[in-house]
Amino acid sequence: MSEKKIHEDQKYIDGLLKNNSFIIQAIYDKFVPKVINYIKQNSGDADRAQDVVQDTLITIYNQASEKKLELTCPFDAYFFLLCKRKWLNELKKSSLKEVTINEEVLYKDDDAQELAFETSLFGEKQALFTEMFQKLGTACKELLSATFKIKSMEEVASSLGVSYAYARKKKSLCIGKLTELVHESPKFNQLNY
Amino acid sequence: MEDQDYILFENYLLGDLSKEDSDTFENRLESDSKFKESFNTYKELSTFLENKFENEAASTTFQNNLKNISKIYFEKQEAPKKVVRFKPWQYVMAASIALLIGITVFNNLSKPVYSDYANYNDISLTVRGEQDALMHTAENAFNIKDFAKAEEAIKSLMVLDKDNAELKFYSAVANIELNNYDTAETMLISLKNGQSAYKNKAIWYLALSNLKQKEYDECLEILRTIPEDADDYNKAQKLIKKLD
Repeated sequence: MSEKKIHEDQKYIDGLLKNNSFIIQAIYDKFVPKVINYIKQNSGDADRAQDVVQDTLITIYNQASEKKLELTCPFDAYFFLLCKRKWLNELKKSSLKEVTINEEVLYKDDDAQELAFETSLFGEKQALFTEMFQKLGTACKELLSATFKIKSMEEVASSLGVSYAYARKKKSLCIGKLTELVHESPKFNQLNY
Repeated sequence: MEDQDYILFENYLLGDLSKEDSDTFENRLESDSKFKESFNTYKELSTFLENKFENEAASTTFQNNLKNISKIYFEKQEAPKKVVRFKPWQYVMAASIALLIGITVFNNLSKPVYSDYANYNDISLTVRGEQDALMHTAENAFNIKDFAKAEEAIKSLMVLDKDNAELKFYSAVANIELNNYDTAETMLISLKNGQSAYKNKAIWYLALSNLKQKEYDECLEILRTIPEDADDYNKAQKLIKKLD
């Protein structure tokens, strides 16, 4: 990817990552009203908007903490696109409802489109990974949790009362099992469109 | 994938493979798309798990804080609008208040007031000599409508430059604002009788000074002396119509 200039609105991303209440409050005051409006105009209400906004901010937080999220477009456009995408997905899920989409606000900003796409893909993957992790057996869950919390594999092995070699092998196999669960999920294929 | 493959993934990611095994591994990634897909997911899951467990505490703190801010924000949004039912006597009261407001507004509309006309722009004093600092004080104070301070600064400037028409004019305006009408009008009359660029402006403000004091007849009389080539001629004519 080419070097792109980081937008000054990166401060919102950094603020979220630092759990800066002042910044979070500013995001609500500045950018959320538009989202509420959009959702209300498209078969939703304030309660649904509250959930969409919250989930979106958590996804941004997670991406920033896992991958170093660098904003190359205004936060406004990026955030709105993400919320909109999330809302449209929710509408699709509950397809019983008649969906009327009010397409008034369009962003021509390619950077925003691209970044929002990346982040929502990231969010969907996270949700899938979390769901599949819950399906693992207790032994695997405990081992993986210990492995990533305690950095040293030797300590993990001794805390679980197994040999180092066994613990390490078990770790690979547990992540392997998780890989299979993810691939078997119908949601996985829907991700890679 | 076989168990062996997952063990290989882990060893590759930890950098535990020999150069040779590593090359073989990378070649297989190139040629075997199933192998590559599994490896990519394995790698992503490793990063995901690492982040999930390492930042669990920070993430929970963040989410709790976020939920709190979100709750407060949406509660404020949805604060039910209170429906107040009026009792008959309250209607009477409301009507009287409305009437009172109406009368006040009407009264204000009926007579033009000084503040509608005194629309001097921000001033920018011409710099002469070395009194820059004082000049800035005067300018700034005037522009933020701290007329007492402005007047004081201008007075000091005028000690050195007593015939400066610009200073005299703004000093007069500041004095009108401060309700020191006599001081203001003395200066305006001297400007009016002089030949400076502020001659006509001085007449206009002399009229406005009277308007502010509600001396409508005198105001009218002065307005009528404003010559047609004055900047404020049109405004003056309109004001005459309203006062007449």
